[in-house]
Amino acid sequence: MSTTVSTLLEMRGVTRTFQVSQGLFARSRTLQAVDGVDLDVKRGEVLGIVGESGCGKSTLAKMLLGLLPPSSGTIRLEGEDVSELPRRELARRVQPVFQDPYSSLNPRRTLASIVSLPLEVQGVGAEERRERSIAMLDKVGLPRRFADNYPSQLSGGQRQRVAIARALVSNPEIVVCDEPTSALDVSVQSQILNLLMELRRELGLTYVFISHNLAVVEHIATRVAVMYLGRVVEQTTTAELFRAPRHPYTGVLLASVLTPEPGLGVPDAGMSAVPPDPLNPPPGCRFNPRCPRAFAPCTTQDPRLVSDGEAAVACHLYTQPQNAAA
Amino acid sequence: MSGPVLEVEDLTVTIATPTGPLQAVRGISFDIRRGESVCLVGESGCGKSMTSLAIMGLLPPAAKRGAKRLAFAGEDLAKASARRINELRGDRMAMIFQEPMTALNPAYTIGDQLIEVHRRHKQQGERIARERAVYLLEKVGIASAAERLGQYPHQLSGGLRQRVMIAMSLMCEPDLLIADEPTTALDVTIQAQILRLLADLQKEFGVALLLITHDLGVVARVADRVNVMYAGEIVESAKVADLFAKPSHPYTRGLLDCIPIPGKTAPGEELGTIPGTVPSLIGGIEGCAFMGRCPLAQGVCARGAPLRHANETHAYRCIVEAA
Repeated sequence: MSTTVSTLLEMRGVTRTFQVSQGLFARSRTLQAVDGVDLDVKRGEVLGIVGESGCGKSTLAKMLLGLLPPSSGTIRLEGEDVSELPRRELARRVQPVFQDPYSSLNPRRTLASIVSLPLEVQGVGAEERRERSIAMLDKVGLPRRFADNYPSQLSGGQRQRVAIARALVSNPEIVVCDEPTSALDVSVQSQILNLLMELRRELGLTYVFISHNLAVVEHIATRVAVMYLGRVVEQTTTAELFRAPRHPYTGVLLASVLTPEPGLGVPDAGMSAVPPDPLNPPPGCRFNPRCPRAFAPCTTQDPRLVSDGEAAVACHLYTQPQNAAA
Repeated sequence: MSGPVLEVEDLTVTIATPTGPLQAVRGISFDIRRGESVCLVGESGCGKSMTSLAIMGLLPPAAKRGAKRLAFAGEDLAKASARRINELRGDRMAMIFQEPMTALNPAYTIGDQLIEVHRRHKQQGERIARERAVYLLEKVGIASAAERLGQYPHQLSGGLRQRVMIAMSLMCEPDLLIADEPTTALDVTIQAQILRLLADLQKEFGVALLLITHDLGVVARVADRVNVMYAGEIVESAKVADLFAKPSHPYTRGLLDCIPIPGKTAPGEELGTIPGTVPSLIGGIEGCAFMGRCPLAQGVCARGAPLRHANETHAYRCIVEAA
């Protein structure tokens, strides 16, 4: 690995809005699924993105893959604006692994044909396609005899291996994994995580790893961004995030993890139960109605994401330290 | 009530399939006392959900139940008439499902559904049923409960819907509550809240809880006793502290090794795996079902595994005595 770490993917002010219909005659309203996200993905790292459902993590993933254009802001891949890159080139360099290997594989194609599709798009010849697909299937633990099988003949874990092989066959630089193990049993999940870690070492890959499972993120990610209602509220190295979470929301998330340790009971994270309405975000800090440490400015002023070297946090506790003790 | 709320002895569930009978549950036994939480834990296809449906008498038509004894509060469920089961279900025994959106009827308001359960079993009139519904919605942490009664399921978030399900299951003060993966579809923060709620309500009302889950974290935090299921059998059964302190079946140990634990497993380190796949349950299984994936397997495993006892409440089925 080189000593200077280069930024592979750079997001600046990335925003995505959707118009949500409120009924036949009501005016549609604007949902800000992703709101002004600044985030860098450095070469060779695993950037974990965590947050509850509806926080915008999957919308962000779709924008990184070029499946959805941002409403505003830019995404740059090694300095080049993704919206100006040819579709085919972006697809070669950024590849997805999705959550559900039952719906992400075409049931009517053989495994070799599924895996070779990205190469077909790139215009690689038939013979080379098949060779490279079979080699990649082998690398993910599916020997040659599987090449002409159909997805219905495979277990969930084997299907996810196929999805990984398809993602890697065109030698991408970044793999965007959106909840890649959430649909799998734990014994299969560990196999897939081991495989992803091994492939990353061997092929020098960079992952964006989206998950709601913090234990999994702690295990595989090198850096973590925490999202809440469309925004990044904290980002730092994985070790630092788990050692000393700074944003109260991060604290709540970590406190909610149920590790297999008996005798501890179910934790009370001290957060109000009412989930936010993304169509109607509260004024001030978006987390303030649920925040166990909210104080005066939180209901009126929107905290900015403030960087401090590797780490960044968007919380008034750190910009107005005189109140932090309260 | 003195004896166990639920007694299950040698329960089997067999499902007819085009390729032969599938033995989903292969002779399991356990019981639950009042105020106790018992977990069934295992991976997909281990038979844990079929067990819960068999107890509730909700098996699909193709599935057949057999048991040496299946008793609720001393009453033999195997001999009870369909009418009697209907009386018990929703009243004395209630169930919470994984996906509250499919378990609730989208065409009726929350209030209608809550009140219906009570009116059907208690015949105490609408007003008392409504009062109980409001009381329970408040108990499960739903604000402005009286107004919520007029809302439809689609107007609620997943966490709120699951709270409504819990309130509904408690409408008639059941003695037994079966919760099948009640928090699997929810966010971690909501999961913790719902599990706390279940634990608190269970203490308050003294319900016997059968919790079905694949998540060993949930098991550790909620259960008093645990039954680990594999391929339709209970392979290990213990008090929760004993199970995690001294997991004795190779499958239980394998499962625990697979899970990354913040602060315990080193980041990036290779996780444990269980090689191979679950054997087909169609036809029948000779010997220990875990044999093909077990690091300790020996030739004699093909003849079955003896039941061993680590202590008087901790049993496991294995040829090798755990160290």
